[in-house]
Amino acid sequence: MNEMAYSRVRNNRINLYKSKTFKNAIMWIVLGFFLFYTIAPLVWLVISSLKTNGELMGAPLALPKTLQFQNYKNAFEVSGLGRLFLNSIIVSITATILNVIVSSMASYSIARYDFKGKELIFTLISAGIMVPVSALMVPVFILIKNLGLYDTKLALILTYSAMGLPLSIFIIRGFMNTIPKELEEAGVIDGCNFYQIFYKIILPLSRAGIVTAITFQFLYCWNEFIYAMLLTSSQTNRTVQVGIRFFSNQFTTDYTSMFAAITISIIPAIAGYVVFQKQIISGLTSGAVKG
Amino acid sequence: MEKLSINSKIGIILFLLPIIILFTAFFIYPIGFLLVTSFYKWDGLSAPTLVGIKNYLTLFNDPVFRLSIKNNVGWLLAGGFIQVPLAITVAIFLARKPKGWEFLRTVYYFPNVISVVAISIMWMAIYNSGYGALNGLLKLVGLANLQRNWLGDLHLTYPAVVLYGVFYIGYFMIIILAEISSIPKQYYEVACIDGASRLQQEFYITLPLIRNSICTCMIIAMVYGLRQFEQTYIMTNGGPANKTMVMVLYLFKKMHSFRYGLASASGIILLIMGVFVIVGVRKLFKVEKYQM
Repeated sequence: MNEMAYSRVRNNRINLYKSKTFKNAIMWIVLGFFLFYTIAPLVWLVISSLKTNGELMGAPLALPKTLQFQNYKNAFEVSGLGRLFLNSIIVSITATILNVIVSSMASYSIARYDFKGKELIFTLISAGIMVPVSALMVPVFILIKNLGLYDTKLALILTYSAMGLPLSIFIIRGFMNTIPKELEEAGVIDGCNFYQIFYKIILPLSRAGIVTAITFQFLYCWNEFIYAMLLTSSQTNRTVQVGIRFFSNQFTTDYTSMFAAITISIIPAIAGYVVFQKQIISGLTSGAVKG
Repeated sequence: MEKLSINSKIGIILFLLPIIILFTAFFIYPIGFLLVTSFYKWDGLSAPTLVGIKNYLTLFNDPVFRLSIKNNVGWLLAGGFIQVPLAITVAIFLARKPKGWEFLRTVYYFPNVISVVAISIMWMAIYNSGYGALNGLLKLVGLANLQRNWLGDLHLTYPAVVLYGVFYIGYFMIIILAEISSIPKQYYEVACIDGASRLQQEFYITLPLIRNSICTCMIIAMVYGLRQFEQTYIMTNGGPANKTMVMVLYLFKKMHSFRYGLASASGIILLIMGVFVIVGVRKLFKVEKYQM
């Protein structure tokens, strides 16, 4: 009897072991698949950007015989990529600063004070997160035209700042909500007024939230395409995203240079992500985006 | 409500003024504009003429518009019912904290920081019938007879354009993973003592407890399926034979042919569909509390 029980336990253990290995195998297959799926296309893109067009046509998956850094030089020369890069940097930085200033001020008022219409303002702004902004192409185009801003960087700066507001407010307000009331009261006793409480107490304490908002806003500005295409037309104001879209026309036969241009356009985003990874993940996870 | 000093009141007004101006200019005015102009015939130059619901009738009588609604619905279903479940699966695996889970979490998110334009051009190259990686890969593994012109085929192009993005699960995975990580360990320990298998634990403990973030992810994925534009604009421009036309691309084309009334009406339909998605998914998950 005892022996039987013992052997049953042992068999169970063996089954358990087997099934555990089996389950782990499934897990690693799934995780491995998604790793391959995420990385392989990017690796292929970078490798192809270092090949000659002949090599690419002959064997799409083969490695280059010699690395063709010439392609990267072409990408800069033919398309004026440097200029586009500069435009993207100017637009993204300015729009991010404007967006974060406006949303910090608004978040401070909403998070720290009670006033009439507060709920309405906050509800409207949070609903803005879900608005498919691409549906607003016609009116935004007409608005920018009427303001006399068509084909200027300012058009993009205003549009991006405004369209990023709902998300930034959501993130920054979330952080400001957690600051204890006592700190503010201490400030009042020390004679701080509305503005001093903002920049001496609340703003420094919300730094983590603001950095998260900056990261998301910058990535949004850097990667935005629809309004960049719609609101600008000249090389002096175009951003990288619109530029690489037009590369596919400029480089109709020189695919590998096109790959080089795309690789260059991806690098800042990946680099920024690797540096600000913590902020992005905390932004996505600490209730900022999910409510 | 405590009494605010006059100084603070002025401060609040000053601090809210910029956002009120920007938000009104770029959200409230545009939506109002769409609503009004959707009832007019307007080429952007001459005076608009009131035509009532004629624009909407024209849209629903246009087989291309109907196809683009269908394509958007397919896209949002793929997002909600393929992409999100895949993300849940991966999040559940990563929540067990296997070796290198943090590295995987970082890498899975890569496609979300790269612009849709770059990703689209990259996949256009992958799908290319001449030098594309997909046909190259098929040849390499001995399946050369499966090689196709992925973006030129009447039946394959739509799935090709929709499906590649469905496997980029990083964004939703991170949201869900965080929610799973916040579940107290004791729940699983108790279940373990009661003899629940791992699969049972995930089904009866994890899934119900992360319901809210699954709901959020489904809403985001589905709204994304509605508003998407860059992929089709860049990869196929709606072709072949309008097979990959989507609503925003349709709107864009109407705008470019100066049929602003029609463009506005399709914008309104898009916004209404967005509201339906949000309300519908909330109903599905019985989430009452306002989220996002």
